[in-house]
Amino acid sequence: MAETPFKISIPQALLDRLQQKLALTTLPNELEGSGWDYGVPLADVKRLVARWMDGYDWRHHEAQLNQLPQFTRPIPVDGHGTLDIHYIHQKSEVEGAIPLLFVHGWPGIFLEGSRIVPLLTAKSDDHPSFHVVVLSLPGFGFSEGAKKPGFNIAQYAEIGNKLMLALGYDEYITQGGDWGLAVTRKIAQLYGGKHSKAWHTNMVFGDPPADFDPSTLTSEKQAALARTEGLMKKGMGYRHQQSTKPQTLAYAMTDSPVGLLAWIYEKLVAWTDRYNWTDDEVLTWISIFYFSREGPVGSFRIYYEAMGNETVPMQAFREAPAPEIPLGLSHFPGDLVVVPKSWSRMMGNVVFDSEVHEAGGHFPAYEQPEALAGDLRKMFGKGGPAYGVVPKKLGYRN
Amino acid sequence: MSETPFKISIPDAALQRLQTKLELTTLPDELDGAGWDYGAPLADVKRLVSRWTNGYDWRHHEAQLNASLQQFTRPIAVDGHGTLNIHYVHQRSEVTNAIPLLFVHGWPGSFIEARKILPLLTTNSANHPSFHVVTFSLPGYGFSEAASKPGFGIKQYAEVGHKLMLALGYNEYVTQGGDWGHVITRKIAQVYGGKYSKAWHTNMVMGQPPQGDDAQTELSDEDKQLLARREWHRKKGMGYMAEQSTQPQTLGYALTDSPVGLLAWIYEKLVNWTDNYPWEDDEILTWISIYYFSRAGPAASLRIYYEAMGPHKTDAERGFADGAAPEIPLGLSHFPQEIVALPRSWSRNLGNIVFEAEHDGGGHFAAYEKPNELVDDVRKMFGQNGPAFGVVAGKSGYSTEGKSGL
Repeated sequence: MAETPFKISIPQALLDRLQQKLALTTLPNELEGSGWDYGVPLADVKRLVARWMDGYDWRHHEAQLNQLPQFTRPIPVDGHGTLDIHYIHQKSEVEGAIPLLFVHGWPGIFLEGSRIVPLLTAKSDDHPSFHVVVLSLPGFGFSEGAKKPGFNIAQYAEIGNKLMLALGYDEYITQGGDWGLAVTRKIAQLYGGKHSKAWHTNMVFGDPPADFDPSTLTSEKQAALARTEGLMKKGMGYRHQQSTKPQTLAYAMTDSPVGLLAWIYEKLVAWTDRYNWTDDEVLTWISIFYFSREGPVGSFRIYYEAMGNETVPMQAFREAPAPEIPLGLSHFPGDLVVVPKSWSRMMGNVVFDSEVHEAGGHFPAYEQPEALAGDLRKMFGKGGPAYGVVPKKLGYRN
Repeated sequence: MSETPFKISIPDAALQRLQTKLELTTLPDELDGAGWDYGAPLADVKRLVSRWTNGYDWRHHEAQLNASLQQFTRPIAVDGHGTLNIHYVHQRSEVTNAIPLLFVHGWPGSFIEARKILPLLTTNSANHPSFHVVTFSLPGYGFSEAASKPGFGIKQYAEVGHKLMLALGYNEYVTQGGDWGHVITRKIAQVYGGKYSKAWHTNMVMGQPPQGDDAQTELSDEDKQLLARREWHRKKGMGYMAEQSTQPQTLGYALTDSPVGLLAWIYEKLVNWTDNYPWEDDEILTWISIYYFSRAGPAASLRIYYEAMGPHKTDAERGFADGAAPEIPLGLSHFPQEIVALPRSWSRNLGNIVFEAEHDGGGHFAAYEKPNELVDDVRKMFGQNGPAFGVVAGKSGYSTEGKSGL
């Protein structure tokens, strides 16, 4: 049997080494009153490091994570040999549930998709159910990463598609944001129609129309655009570095727990919307990167491969042709890019638009699982625009 | 007396802590055949870490630096930023009327960049001018104190350099700089030029494509090569700048905490920005150690990027084209592997160009890679037959006892 049940079990030696390193943490100073302007504030980092050293219990969180039904299986990728892929797989009690592949991005991880699993698999007469697969992208979590250059979005997509087929889901739908959008979009392009029947994303973007006049937008929408512009000016250094010199960055991020903590924590805060992270939550998220099978560097390389040689910005997320299969969009007010709905028609064959939710940012599956699950139920449920896209998997008990 | 002689003397405890951290180094893997494409290669970093852990002798290099560079510290007041304790090297020439010259380094440079040009610039000869040389550690670098609050920008760095020269009794002086040294000496020339700064020389020649009719000029093959390197740097080599100018504190945690992280971050530039300079491992490690053991720590050295180019600055400021071009005489030295190298025609608006020289080799750290060539240029610019001869009144650079030497 190719599938192996998987339980996270970080060797004690690694935990000990982490503690040794933490005990030697050397911190920089900080400019007076700098707040978040220059990056993550020192007080936050000090507090998190102190907790990581004393009080944070990895084994407890590891055991909690292991309540998720995790597996690994080898998946061959043309030209790249076979990679051992880590994933969550939870079937619904409802036999005719809709197979759904959830794909995270960066700095996402499989944990991001874990909260929607019980919601989507739950059975009800009032909404459809799903069989849920949460993939750890190669190089992230406990999936093996590429060993040679050239492992690009098409290869990530190949992994996702082959995983679903291997699980017996010849036809399925996808959900993804961040790199998950690029990967599921590629899945829709390469395997759409035949295997992927519809795709849904929470990362919405689009171009203004040719005759765009900013003054025609509501002040709310103008503020959203200004906020996006601010985030772009302020927050793209990580992307620039990871897409050009991921290896140079890797030495620091592999060797320094506090360095890695700050690098990722900055985004966990900047990219979420009124989400009250607990320190242990942050530390679990960071620990997964720290203890990941390939180390943090495995997660940077997707930037180099997919963005290092762009001819247009965000090429991997919008390159023609737009997929033809039905597309659903969920709109969350705190994501990095928030555009008027009309601009986002160019993303594909949009059949579903959610309301603009009250709250939620770049990781809505984690921040607002009820809202995201609700949108998927609306899109794929009875009366929804994508009802029945997967033949014989309508999502309901007979 | 405000000036205090200074000798680098890193405490044993700091050396021990570094050693302990090095022994716990955790390295990433690398893609097959990655070469330099993805960043500093693993084999290089492994070798350097191994040497750093075993074999590299900081005390020996510390002693060499102390022996070859006369160092001092003194407090310098900066408007709105209190007083900073500034570390500097001051080497006077035997020639009493030598020309006072301020050398300003950049990132990832340091005062060490001046170590080769110092003996050349100060030396006495009938055949070329001599200089009294001052170089300081920028606040936040080397053994200078760092700014403690936001807003310490190019103007403030310029103020420190200028006030240091005045404090040393050099009311009139000339400057030499590349990287941030270019930007800072440009500001010195703008703010203090004419009255105090009499001329400026740079090896990092900046510029803009010509507009209008001039834009029609065909590019030579050499120009195309220069632009190709510039484009390579722009597309592939500016991640560090994007991060340092927007989130220096975030990056700062990693570079402060991880010796190998800091090593790789800087080593990549020491190789990519130089012209096949034959770095020795100990040379690299000494360069990195100055950052690692710096008074303010490595994170402080990143902040200049935020202050000068951050999201709150204008495009003109970010392009170092703010304000009018300085009027004082300007000398340019073109080194072909400079990362921002460009066609000569693009630099006409930099200032009052009175001297220009081209070289066959050399990169971004000209004073370190090509000390003879750079000093030669500076001597030609300020020497007897040079276009900037006598800019500093009474400081011709020559001995007044007659020019026949022997």
